[in-house]
Amino acid sequence: MKPAPTLSAAFLESAGQSLPKALLELRKQRGTALVDMPLPTRKTENWKYSSKYLKLTDEMASTLPSQGKALTGQEVPGYRIVFLNGVIQPEASEFPKADGIRVASFRDLDDQEAAELADQLDNTLDDKAVQLARLNAARFEDGLLIRLKPDAVLDQPLFVIHEVTADASGSAFPRIFVDAGRHSQATLVEEYRSSGSEPVMVNTVTEFKLADGAKITNVRLTMEGENVQHIGATGVRQQRNARFESHTVGFGGPLRRHDLHVRLEGEGGECKLNGVVVTQGKQHFDNHTTIEHVAAHCNSEETYRNIAADQSHAVFNGRIHIHQDAQKSNADMNNKNLLLSNGAEIDTKPELEIYADDVKCAHGATIGQLDEISLFYLVSRGIARREANVLLTMAFINELVEQIPLETVRETAHTRLNQFFDQTFQEV
Amino acid sequence: MLSIKNLHASVEGKEILKGINLEIKAGEVHAIMGPNGSGKSTLSQVLAGNEAFEVTEGEVILNGENLLDLETEERAREGIFLAFQYPVEIPGVSNLQFLRTAVNAMRKHRGEEEMNAAEFMKLAKEVSKQVDLDPSFLKRGVNEGFSGGEKKRNEIMQALLLQPKLAILDETDSGLDIDALKVVSDGVNALRSEDRAILMVTHYQRLLNHIVPDYVHVLAGGRIIKSGGRELALELEEKGYGWLGIKDEETADSAAN
Repeated sequence: MKPAPTLSAAFLESAGQSLPKALLELRKQRGTALVDMPLPTRKTENWKYSSKYLKLTDEMASTLPSQGKALTGQEVPGYRIVFLNGVIQPEASEFPKADGIRVASFRDLDDQEAAELADQLDNTLDDKAVQLARLNAARFEDGLLIRLKPDAVLDQPLFVIHEVTADASGSAFPRIFVDAGRHSQATLVEEYRSSGSEPVMVNTVTEFKLADGAKITNVRLTMEGENVQHIGATGVRQQRNARFESHTVGFGGPLRRHDLHVRLEGEGGECKLNGVVVTQGKQHFDNHTTIEHVAAHCNSEETYRNIAADQSHAVFNGRIHIHQDAQKSNADMNNKNLLLSNGAEIDTKPELEIYADDVKCAHGATIGQLDEISLFYLVSRGIARREANVLLTMAFINELVEQIPLETVRETAHTRLNQFFDQTFQEV
Repeated sequence: MLSIKNLHASVEGKEILKGINLEIKAGEVHAIMGPNGSGKSTLSQVLAGNEAFEVTEGEVILNGENLLDLETEERAREGIFLAFQYPVEIPGVSNLQFLRTAVNAMRKHRGEEEMNAAEFMKLAKEVSKQVDLDPSFLKRGVNEGFSGGEKKRNEIMQALLLQPKLAILDETDSGLDIDALKVVSDGVNALRSEDRAILMVTHYQRLLNHIVPDYVHVLAGGRIIKSGGRELALELEEKGYGWLGIKDEETADSAAN
């Protein structure tokens, strides 16, 4: 039998030494741990549908240069942090400055802060589940630290622009760590974009630690180009009465993977996860989510919608794990899928693991096509067929897009969705 | 205006319409009555262009143009309007957005300027009053959670907005209480004009008390077996479809109840 492929050693050589000592050490340890890491294959359960899209070449092992034209994101109003190929660009960024709120580049941390952070990184993610995203800890060159002291409220949303310039093959490893103190509040928007056309990988990890009563909203727009393989993981741990809200809008690519793992560890915790994915051409997108009800009396609500056109492929795997002591858990997961062509593929798998006996747990998954009768109704009023298709497709995801809490982000999503519709329905 | 000649149509290989002949002139109101399964709704759907029905023979001419050559949306733009028996619920598309898109598609077709959101809102509010629908219905999803009567009023509202040449009303009276029937009938009567024709498809004659037709046709087994004036409808009500030798299970059932 052929041995399973492993990660090329080239991917474990991290170059930049600009981080504080504690983080450099952490990175080195993580790198050592990943030697001979098997790459996912179709036999790897949680990569079953997606491993064939993963194409890591040795050229992609090098770190993309972090200097250069970094003046992106200037159109974003208010607080913004610009990452260029995984490294924060202070001159292009607008850091929030307020009492009780610390927002800083990993590179600017003093030894004590760096040591504290090194102990906290990766504690929200399950190594076995995220696999490839673990590479981030072995390779990150920079990161964004956000610490909110108890009761601190970030007065405006913080936009984080992750820009990748793919003028040569390589990879970028941006990272964010959010430590939200008791009853603090913040909204964080992550937008992933790219320029250039060489094959590159974005390998990104975002972590949230929510203390009692903290409220965090996270918006994630995945919108890189056709040459970018995106492997992302988001880890969340919530204490008593904390609330986490996630809105993701993803556009397909050669490989798109997002793992979202939420642990409800204190009573009264709540999370709401909304996701929209559209794919066309030969694109791919794979969302894997896990919600763990560890403590009793928590609520989770998850709604994901996928739209796949042409020969594209969307995957959704939603797991809800209710631990033995998590009585009175309330979990609701819903995944609806729309296939716009016979050549498109959608794989959906809701998974429930329930070890407590007094819980309410609902899940549903459907796959369908545009409704012919609705289409007939619209065109019978003189509406062009193309426009009717767009109206119905948009209707399928509108409810989720409209829930994104920021108008500028909704507009960005709408603009991109309209481009998607233009390409998808041009021949109707 | 509309000339139907020897129209045959089938669905899933089963022939439903077996040679319909019908002439409708501008300004006229025609009623097509018949028992369930006679082909009434099929005729409405075929005229509007539902592709689930296949026309196997015959022709339909609308103002000199061969209707059967046109796509559904082109028929609508040429002035065909079908008020659905079962209006479709489309959550996620607001009624206002739907109506405005439709009205602007028509305006564009006629070479008129499209209406902006504010202009259209004003118009839509006026027309919604005419059919006694609260303007809040404009903001809801198309027919989403509407009662049966509200859906029918929304259909008539669309007819009033789109100002068709030929309005086909498919069982518009079904599921309406007396008050709603009055509102809907008033709406339809407001549509009556010298340059517009109305084709009403109905099982019962009660709608015809409110919208008085010029002609009544009885459809059975996919053919028009009798035509007459308004008195034909009254006679049918009195004597039932059995009078014409037609088996009507639903009428028999309701009589038994």
